[in-house]
Amino acid sequence: MLEISGLERRYGARVALAGVSFDVQPGEIVGLLGANGAGKSTLLRTAAGLQPPDAGRVRVAGHDVWESPLEARRALGYAAEEPAFHEELSAAEYLSFVSSVRALEPVAAEARMRALAGALELGARLDDPVRGYSHGMRKKLSFIAAVLHRPQVLLCDEALEGFDAPSALAAKAELRTRAREGCAVLFSSHVTETVERLCDRVVMLRHGRVARELSRADWGAGTEEHSPLERAFLDMVTEGAAE
Amino acid sequence: MVPSGPAPGQSPCGTTGRILYSAARMPPTYPDQSAAFAALERRLAARRWNALDARSRVVFAALAALLSGFFYWQARVPLDGWVRAHGAVGGAKWLAIAMAVWAIAAGAIAAWRQDALAARVPGSEWLALPVDPARVMRHLLGESRLPALAAIPLALATLAAGAGLVPAWWLALLAAGFAVAWIECTRLAAAAARALAVRRSRHASLPPAVRLLASARRTTTERRRPAPRWLAEGGWRALQHLDLRLTRTPGPAQARMGTALALLGVSLAAWFANAEPLQRRAIAFAAFLPAATALGAWAITRACGDPAAAMRPLPLTLKDTYRARFTTIAVVLGFAIVANVAIASGLSPALRVGTALTWAACGLAVAALGLQYGLTLHPRALAAENLYFGWLGVTLMASWMIPLLGWAVLVAGLVHSGVRLRRWWTSEAV
Repeated sequence: MLEISGLERRYGARVALAGVSFDVQPGEIVGLLGANGAGKSTLLRTAAGLQPPDAGRVRVAGHDVWESPLEARRALGYAAEEPAFHEELSAAEYLSFVSSVRALEPVAAEARMRALAGALELGARLDDPVRGYSHGMRKKLSFIAAVLHRPQVLLCDEALEGFDAPSALAAKAELRTRAREGCAVLFSSHVTETVERLCDRVVMLRHGRVARELSRADWGAGTEEHSPLERAFLDMVTEGAAE
Repeated sequence: MVPSGPAPGQSPCGTTGRILYSAARMPPTYPDQSAAFAALERRLAARRWNALDARSRVVFAALAALLSGFFYWQARVPLDGWVRAHGAVGGAKWLAIAMAVWAIAAGAIAAWRQDALAARVPGSEWLALPVDPARVMRHLLGESRLPALAAIPLALATLAAGAGLVPAWWLALLAAGFAVAWIECTRLAAAAARALAVRRSRHASLPPAVRLLASARRTTTERRRPAPRWLAEGGWRALQHLDLRLTRTPGPAQARMGTALALLGVSLAAWFANAEPLQRRAIAFAAFLPAATALGAWAITRACGDPAAAMRPLPLTLKDTYRARFTTIAVVLGFAIVANVAIASGLSPALRVGTALTWAACGLAVAALGLQYGLTLHPRALAAENLYFGWLGVTLMASWMIPLLGWAVLVAGLVHSGVRLRRWWTSEAV
């Protein structure tokens, strides 16, 4: 459903992605882990079509993001790490625009928006201008916009960062529901506990390359101090430092 | 041992229930931060210079040379006549007035820039640092002077027009006087703009500089917005509705569309002036053309105002974004042209048709130029506007110099920006 092959991206002399390849199958939630600067956000922005790769390709539901952008974006949802909106608009106005662009059935889309906003505790502020929103509220709005159309592929860049506990639980439930309905979810986070609980598989990035790819069975045992995935992640970081 | 803190209801200073900050009573002393600010300003200058690629530098230099040449000839011819009639001293006075006008223009530019900076300055970030707010204000003054530098080559070109007509020592004196006038005009105008911004800001008890920083980037309206209508339009129609919604909201898009509509109103009113029909048409066109320019600026604001992180993942194409804005421009200009032609008393039917066609071609070309710069330079609205107004200025001068040359320049601009349109797909702003 989401195929990333040979993805390369440079910022001047700095290599952000150096031939990243992996895929995410329908119904799978794949976690993306890496230290700061490992290339997680670059990977997700490139996969979402926000910036072109220097080499390689991304296919979303069978469509190349750069050769068939319209078809790819129809199937795609993207929750940004640093969401940006038209500050003058309210969340409801922004989401009605997103719904309209995606040509969703209006009554059903509005009902879904209200249900999601209610679950994420944003319902009371839907008609307030976005410029008055906190960071967490912006992240919630970005998340709602990403899942509103029940995408086939969902890219979440630190999507739950800034969420309060009940909203984070609701968002995780929504992600699991999306996956159950066949959505391929790529979920980037710094919080290994969240990834460990939520994801079926983990891709670890180091210096713009895939350093490890682990399924649940591969996570192994944790220690008294660290959970299994945390242990595996720390091992990967330590190996990188030793290289 | 646990250190003893202030008693409940007592401030750390020991004054029960009193406000902690009082600049008048306890003025803070700051270390000399000149070196840090000088380094910051050097780095900013270097970064701005490096942000221009070689081609842009050549284009800007060519524009400056062209504009300077234009003002040289615009000044040279009348000055020559003036010197013949009033002598060299009269010529020097003529140049002194011209220099004063340029200094005032520089002041106006600095005031405009200061006003914009006062609203956008990262106030809380500055206030979080142990930095003298008055020093920040001096830094902002320097920043507001930067665009006013554009007046200097044009003023010097005007002054150069006096070469051979006015004694050289007079020209040297005028140049020195202009330098002083430029410094003082920009300083006073920026100070006036800052004072106005301080008056608009909140927290009256604070010192002016702190007050300005504390009020910057404040939300101007927190009112709840009306519930939207949920539609399923898809593509460009949805984007067009978004544009209209944003244009109805106070902000730069509304200001530009408001200017365009006001100027179109003036062009309609011109037909009721007490003048010959062709004179009335000329006056109406003189208002119509800036209206089309304002529509181009509106298109820039809208094209550059779409946040990439929110818009790029949506199923929208370049064609959608172009069509949404161009359709709005065409509808506004179309209504204006039809209304103008309908009330154009005294013009024959053939002249009315000719007027409609010429105005439509000209208005659409001018506004489309703005749209194309907005799309290709997304999200850098200021850069797009500078290029847009610069190009239109060159177009205007070209049409004054040689008939129809303005059209050639305008079409060249459209082709150039049109070729660059595909860059919209690879805009990396996030």
